[in-house]
Amino acid sequence: MGRLRQKGKAGAAKAYITRTSAIKKLQCSLADFRRLCILKGIFPREPRSRKKANKGSSAPTSFYYTKDIAYLAHEPVLRKLREHKAFAKKLSRALGRGEWSSAKTLEDNKPVYKLDHIIKERYPTFIDALRDIDDALCMAFLFASLPSNSRLPPELIENCTRLASEWQLYIMHTRCLRKVFLSIKGVYYQAEVMDQSITWLVPYQFTQSIPPDVDVRVMLTFLELYQTLLGFVFFKLYADAGFAYPPPLDTQKDEGAAGVGAFSLQTVMRSVQAAPSKSETIGKKVSGKEVRQTIKSIDASTDQDMEVDPSPTQDTVADIEEEFVVHPSSTDPQSSAALPTLHSLFALPQTAQTSLFSPYTFWLSRETSRPVFEFLVRSFGGRIGWPASSGGGSAFGEDDESITHVIIDRPLIEMTPEERQRRTRRKYVQPQWIVDCINAGKILLEEPYAQGKTLPPHLSPFGERAGAYDPTEAVPDVAEAESEAESEEEEAVIQAEEEEEEEEGKQALRAAADVAADDAGALRAAELAAEAAGVDYDAFEKEVSKSRKKAKKVAVEDKDADAEQDMNKMLMSNKQRKLYERIKHSQGKRNTERTKLEERKKNLVKQKKCEAKA
Amino acid sequence: MVAVTTSKDTRKRKQAPQEEVTNERNGLNGASNLEMHSDDEDGEEIGSDDGEVEDFPEIDVASDSEEDEESEEDEEEADESGEGDSDDSDLHIFPKPKTIVSDITGRPKRVYPEIEPDYDSDSSTEDTPNRVGDVPMHWYDDLPHIGYDINGKQVLRPARGDELDKFLKTVDDPDAWTSAFDKNMQGDKALSPQELDIIRRLYEGENPDAQYDPYEPTIEWFTGKGKEEVMPLSAAPEPKRRWIGSKWEKKKIMKIVRAIRQGRIIPNKPKTKESKFQFYSIWSEPPSSHPPPLPAPKPSLPTNSESYNPPEEYLPTDAERAEWQATDPEDRERNYLPQKYSSLRLVPGYDQFIKERFNRQLDLYLAPRIQRTKINIDPNTLIPKLPSPSSLKPFPTYKSLTFTHARGRVRALSISPDGAWALSGDEDGVVSLWEVNVGKEIKRWKFESKIGSLDWCPRSDVTYFVVGVDDTLHFIIPPNLPSAIFSATQSSLAPATLPPPSAIPSPVKWVSNSSSDLSILKVELPPSSGTPTQITWHRRGDYMSTVSSGGGVWIHQISRRHSQAPFKKVRGSVQLVLFHPTKPHFFVATQQYVRIYNLSEQKLLKTLMPGIRWISSMDVHPSGDHLIVGGYDRKLCWFDLELSDKPYKVMRYHVKAIRSLHFHPTYPLFASSSDDGAIQIFHARVYNDLMTDPLIVPLKILRGHTVKDGLGVLQVRWCNRQPWLISSGADGAVNVWCS
Repeated sequence: MGRLRQKGKAGAAKAYITRTSAIKKLQCSLADFRRLCILKGIFPREPRSRKKANKGSSAPTSFYYTKDIAYLAHEPVLRKLREHKAFAKKLSRALGRGEWSSAKTLEDNKPVYKLDHIIKERYPTFIDALRDIDDALCMAFLFASLPSNSRLPPELIENCTRLASEWQLYIMHTRCLRKVFLSIKGVYYQAEVMDQSITWLVPYQFTQSIPPDVDVRVMLTFLELYQTLLGFVFFKLYADAGFAYPPPLDTQKDEGAAGVGAFSLQTVMRSVQAAPSKSETIGKKVSGKEVRQTIKSIDASTDQDMEVDPSPTQDTVADIEEEFVVHPSSTDPQSSAALPTLHSLFALPQTAQTSLFSPYTFWLSRETSRPVFEFLVRSFGGRIGWPASSGGGSAFGEDDESITHVIIDRPLIEMTPEERQRRTRRKYVQPQWIVDCINAGKILLEEPYAQGKTLPPHLSPFGERAGAYDPTEAVPDVAEAESEAESEEEEAVIQAEEEEEEEEGKQALRAAADVAADDAGALRAAELAAEAAGVDYDAFEKEVSKSRKKAKKVAVEDKDADAEQDMNKMLMSNKQRKLYERIKHSQGKRNTERTKLEERKKNLVKQKKCEAKA
Repeated sequence: MVAVTTSKDTRKRKQAPQEEVTNERNGLNGASNLEMHSDDEDGEEIGSDDGEVEDFPEIDVASDSEEDEESEEDEEEADESGEGDSDDSDLHIFPKPKTIVSDITGRPKRVYPEIEPDYDSDSSTEDTPNRVGDVPMHWYDDLPHIGYDINGKQVLRPARGDELDKFLKTVDDPDAWTSAFDKNMQGDKALSPQELDIIRRLYEGENPDAQYDPYEPTIEWFTGKGKEEVMPLSAAPEPKRRWIGSKWEKKKIMKIVRAIRQGRIIPNKPKTKESKFQFYSIWSEPPSSHPPPLPAPKPSLPTNSESYNPPEEYLPTDAERAEWQATDPEDRERNYLPQKYSSLRLVPGYDQFIKERFNRQLDLYLAPRIQRTKINIDPNTLIPKLPSPSSLKPFPTYKSLTFTHARGRVRALSISPDGAWALSGDEDGVVSLWEVNVGKEIKRWKFESKIGSLDWCPRSDVTYFVVGVDDTLHFIIPPNLPSAIFSATQSSLAPATLPPPSAIPSPVKWVSNSSSDLSILKVELPPSSGTPTQITWHRRGDYMSTVSSGGGVWIHQISRRHSQAPFKKVRGSVQLVLFHPTKPHFFVATQQYVRIYNLSEQKLLKTLMPGIRWISSMDVHPSGDHLIVGGYDRKLCWFDLELSDKPYKVMRYHVKAIRSLHFHPTYPLFASSSDDGAIQIFHARVYNDLMTDPLIVPLKILRGHTVKDGLGVLQVRWCNRQPWLISSGADGAVNVWCS
């Protein structure tokens, strides 16, 4: 006889741990546990049998992997949380005793946890991190738009705004935005960074208020993690693109509400020689000779880089560099030093559509959202300006001759002659044009999007699931077929009434019979028509029976096949039958959805036709 | 004096008869009157009276009211404060005398203030006539006197009026209520205002002493400026530690100082540097070998209906909108309603934005995640691929003819071994013999009660059939037989010499009556055993087994004209029995189990468990290795007898209970009939090698019977040599289905 096995010592009972016991084991509060779970990315698991995992009890509980919790027990953040608990006690005691100086000392040495090790642990490679920044970006953009209050300190909002701007700056400079969708929830953007599609949602520019049933603590904990994650990801992205991170903020511009424009990308030295030259420039002890030397060294280094990195865009970069090298005296050393690292920017794969708007210059009308369209236009290479009421930092004024398009979102009104004159030179489009152009990957005709026009529908660039209703196709031919059938019938009736040539009448009759074979009402109508047409009843009968037979044959074949299938279903196992029924059910649901939409579309088209006729 | 005048006023007002009223009473009355006056009058009068009161302190023994006293005191205090802050002023050790000029003599004299009958006052100085002391006065109850005065003379008991006097006194004397009984003097004594005041104070829970001031200022005896007293507590010399610094403290401090010098501790660290988190290239070093945790699933991307300007067909109708609003937010298919705005500037802020982000986060950290393989298969691939029925022909496909019984359900049906004749028996007691090919009825027998079952004898050399009616089995020879066969049948059923009766007596009687045209031989089962519901033959045609509705099982041997019950006791009610086609095995189906017995060894071989609630029908494959069992709960179980006692396949395709099952004797076909009025034909090929599973292909559903009273097709039988099926139903029709 083997060793006795005790219950609950192995298997699911050991592998899973309930939340209560996990908290007990970690000796922390529920709030701390939640915080740890959020930071470490630990989530409950669903055991195969809840009863086995919970030692026979079927009470509703959430289970975690015991090993997850065991790892949590060694978490430095947990230690810091415990320290913070002790600190809070000490601080409250000091405050209660009125020992202000010791309270201040305590406050200064407050335990603060860092999350970099968690980032490294959760995202071992950069791609892992990049793949997972969707939610982080959404949160950063959301909090950037929130008003600060006692729970949301202004520093937090500011940091989120900074992160959002940094991301936009990066996207604009690397031209990696791919799709944009104006939805009722906000604006969805999709960018492709290092072969990862990153989608984020930005709310429209309205003040959001946190609803009372939302636990802000949870959101703030997530935000804590996301800020760190975004910081590290941006650092890496900027470093790879050869920019300094964080990008310097021009406070004057920022106060002028320049938004993204307040940040400027600053290239950094990557070569070892470049570093001292930078320090020298700061020290303002630069001689012409040194400048020349550094330029030479830079030139050499870029050559090396070129050898290493043979990308198709290198030629143009080299050209630019050469140009600058030819006239070194006009530039200050820093800008010239900045050049070589630009190649990493251009090294990114580029398609033709990334410079979609580069030939155009846009002017934003006052009522359009500047942050959205500035970002869109700039990330596709266009130039954009806006009135001072939309914020500072516009590169040009409204009277600039180079403006080709005006993005305007207001109804058409009477114009002054000057205005009209200006209009001839510029194209006035509604904002949807920009987004549709981006999604289409080409410049669309401006005409349907002109000011005051009813816009064509805005479709999701992300597409629907396979087999779903597609609003762009399929419907017109259905409508056509129906209209054809209708017209045929009409024709038949008319022709029969007019009693023209018999053959034609017969043809019409055949058509009518075809249509009518399976419908008693229609049959009667056809009969009447035939009588009116003077066709004898026998001929009509024959025609009808023929068409009926034909239909029947097809139906019988179909039926046979169906019956066979139905009979074969008898031999399915229970499991298979259930799966089959489930799949069939979902298919049916999808099909009804689709047919419903198609039906509606048909009706709408009909209605429109009627209106057009009337 | 004022008091007197006021009291006079009252008297005038009241017009009361004058009486001798003591001064004290006047005063008291006056005092009560005074309270009624308005304050200003009072104040003036008091102010003006003060001097007079002091002028005549003697007369004013009882008349001075409380207020007078207080004002007097106030004055006194004022005087005293005027005199100076002497320490003695607070100490009233003895009342200070006043020097006034006597009216009579015209010379100054000292006047002491009235001694109040307080606690301070000495009552012993009062002149009480009775000097008996503090003895119980009831000692004197019987005596005419109440004690002795100072001179030792008896003090006589004062006259005490009767109750009427007392009452009159209380009526007459307004002060009667303020008097108390003096035990010592055995008479009423009026209480002085002071005494009344004490009583009042005691009532109100105050200190009885009117002079007592609970809020006296404290007197600082040893504190305050100039009164401190310096008194050392001990004479010990002061210890050294008072002026020498701690060594250990110094050590600790030096440690910190050293740390600061070495830069281990930075005092007053700049705050900004510490709070500002520096990012660095975290992914520069190679990643650990741990696999990354599973990334969270991304939310699904928005579809066309979420657009601010969707195609119009996406917009919900009013009904859809109402339905969406009526459903719980958790149950909604989409968390938004499609909306259309004519231009971007009209799009409002989305109020659920934060809520949705929050829900996403709750999903991220609270929802268990399961990795699920997404099934993306064509549902038609799930349907088993079977050979087409058209390739498995022949099988019955259409109804060729119908033989109708006028009345009653046709429960019993049998086909002759050569397949040319059919027998059908209905519940009305009619048995019809008819041709399968044309449906012509040859002969009809009429029994008095319903036909339970009937079956042809499978022998080819003889031709007869058995009909089970009412505890009796009738052996009948059909008409128009060739003479050779007829004689053989005659001889087998009614031999000239009867076989010797069995040694074991049997309750079953074999009665031959060659005279009757109805039956040549009758087997009478024991009475009240019920209608024989099933008759089944052994393949050789010598043995026959019957199951009665009462549950009795009999095996009859024709050649020996003997019947025996194979089981002494059967567990459960027997539904059906079957002979194994090749082996001496016997299948017995009870309500839920099928048992297989070996008849030669007389033992139970196997119990099959079909898992059917109530077995209705059963048939064995001609090879003898497979068994099908049908139940009233619509299930059909296929047993491979070599394999297991659990079904190899369970099918449930009929809508209602299965009534009958039959294997074709030669073709690989079997049919099942059900109460839903349908007959299902299956192709059932059984392979000889043990590795290949039997192939079961549903071929055809035959519909042609009408369902009557919830009963459909009651019996199906195959023709022996043709792929033809004959079915009988509750509607009285017997159909022949041909291929």
